[in-house]
Amino acid sequence: MAGKSGREISATPKGGITKILSWEGALILVFIAVIILGKSISPNYTLNNVLREMQKYLPEIFMMFGMGFILVLGDIDISVGSIVCLCATLTCIAANAGVPFILAALLCILIGTCCGMLNGFLATKFTELPTMIITLGTQIIFRGIAEMSLGSGGSVSYKNSKDIAVLAKKIGPFPISFFLVIILGVVMITVLSRTTFGRKLYAIGSNKTASYYAGIKVQRTRFLCYTILGTLAGLCALFLLSALYGANTTTGQGFEMEVIAMCVFGGIATTGGKGNLIGGLIAAFIIVCLRIALGQINMNTQLILVIIGAMLIVSVLIPQIKNALMPKKQKV
Amino acid sequence: MKEKSLWKKITGSREVSLVIVLIVLLAAVQTLSPSFLTATNIAQIFRNNALTMLMALGMLCVMLTGGIDISITSTLAFSGMTIGLLQKYDILHNTFLLFLIGAVIGLICGSINGMIVAKGKVAPIICTMGFMYIWRGMAYVISNNAWASGQDVAGFSDFGKDGAIGPYIILIIAYIIFFVVMKWTKFGRQIYAVGSNKEAAAISGINVKKTITSVYAIMGMLAGLAGVLSVSIYASAQPNMQYGKEMDVIAACVIGGVSMSGGRGTVVGTFLGALIIAIIAKALPLVGISSIAQNFVKGVIILAVVVLNVITQRTMDKQNLSRREI
Repeated sequence: MAGKSGREISATPKGGITKILSWEGALILVFIAVIILGKSISPNYTLNNVLREMQKYLPEIFMMFGMGFILVLGDIDISVGSIVCLCATLTCIAANAGVPFILAALLCILIGTCCGMLNGFLATKFTELPTMIITLGTQIIFRGIAEMSLGSGGSVSYKNSKDIAVLAKKIGPFPISFFLVIILGVVMITVLSRTTFGRKLYAIGSNKTASYYAGIKVQRTRFLCYTILGTLAGLCALFLLSALYGANTTTGQGFEMEVIAMCVFGGIATTGGKGNLIGGLIAAFIIVCLRIALGQINMNTQLILVIIGAMLIVSVLIPQIKNALMPKKQKV
Repeated sequence: MKEKSLWKKITGSREVSLVIVLIVLLAAVQTLSPSFLTATNIAQIFRNNALTMLMALGMLCVMLTGGIDISITSTLAFSGMTIGLLQKYDILHNTFLLFLIGAVIGLICGSINGMIVAKGKVAPIICTMGFMYIWRGMAYVISNNAWASGQDVAGFSDFGKDGAIGPYIILIIAYIIFFVVMKWTKFGRQIYAVGSNKEAAAISGINVKKTITSVYAIMGMLAGLAGVLSVSIYASAQPNMQYGKEMDVIAACVIGGVSMSGGRGTVVGTFLGALIIAIIAKALPLVGISSIAQNFVKGVIILAVVVLNVITQRTMDKQNLSRREI
């Protein structure tokens, strides 16, 4: 089934062999390949070790779900890294000033939500502006506020590290954040693929005007998605604090790009209306497991980024190559 | 009648309103801190922001076609690091050749970007995001995490050291070339045509793919040049240089009135946008606002400018509508 613009509407259910040959199927194969690669190049690539090292990457995956929503809408949000920085900074300062841990944690998530709401407000009130520009502005503003509250020192550490360490605890070999990723994953994947709300996102991403005339509250839905992403960024900041015990002006720098990369590698198109979160989740684990494997053989961190960058470009080129190789489908 | 058209010209033109903003800004800063408008200060403003101003020209071209390039500072680091290493290991010390090599490296990086965007039909932000990792990583890999110090680039840094005219000459030449090319040559007009309407441009015989590839190649070349310039201005080369500064370049263009959906924007506007950001950065400490607040103020200004632009556009549309009513 093809849309007016020739774009395939991927929310259309598929079955049988096409399901295995789909992007998600390919991603699972890549994931297995990465695990085999990790096992063969590093003797330390055991479940326990991988899960331990995974802890510092897991909070980013929270944001991947929210970013997936935004990308399906056809929007983009490049301010999430700065939101993480602002949340972590203000939470540290509040906790050091004597705010009890539970309140500080709630504050962290609340700040993230407010930041997301600000993004959503601007994006829905000034629809003429590309969301890239709006979030570029707020990206600089949020980090600016964090810089101002950090003062000239540029960093703050979490004094009562005992409290926050609760979040870094493990149940069996699995860290708490791992369970959170799974729970969030189930909820968000269900919302996107099985509810009317999710369907609305695909509709808006495919054609805003048509969805408006079909009675979808386009701007309210967009506002909600930005808020959700902000909340998840706050959650990410909280769990990041439990691993870093502090924040500085560069906390969360570049997160927005890493999160977008996870989504795109997972098959979510930045043009909107295409892709699903299952792909994004598998892609996120592929990137994380690959990083850990290559990190264990002491490969240069930057060289790992080169590999991830190349993977990203190849993955977005594949549909193009496939189109060129396959005979053109008959046009209706 | 004539007066009205002049008034229309002033309110309608983005450049004129930017000049007014600039004059108001300068006047305000000058009254608060009379020592602001000195030759040294002005020279420093241009020197400190030479890289942003240079790359803003390329970003203008890319954004005119409706694209965006966030890999530029990575290209800058890759080219700058290569230049630094060439001198560190005493392979090459000729200033002109070093600039040439830097530009060629940038040109190659940019061309690859452009080909993937144009031929592969990949979204520009995704493609350049991939290359943002790749070129930055390459800068680390070739340098092996080391950096070229001031001693290594001693002779070369004379070109851009404090008081030297090198960076200014490059900026002036670049701006003159771009002003002429964008306004009066076929290639410049083709870029505008592609940005305004791709299909129409293709039907009227413009090679759209070639145009898009070339704007990314030009962007890359300028980023490569900026890399060499950065080594000479800051007298060192690190693989992490100018990290995250691509957003400054985009911000300069956006303030200068370059539309992100393509087809709208001028060289003069870009220059004024870059200059406004530069002056604010320089003026904040002088008027008593701590430099820590710099980013916050910058972000607020970017948002204020784009939001104001939308609001004026809306009121203008409304006025046009009411004029047509009988």
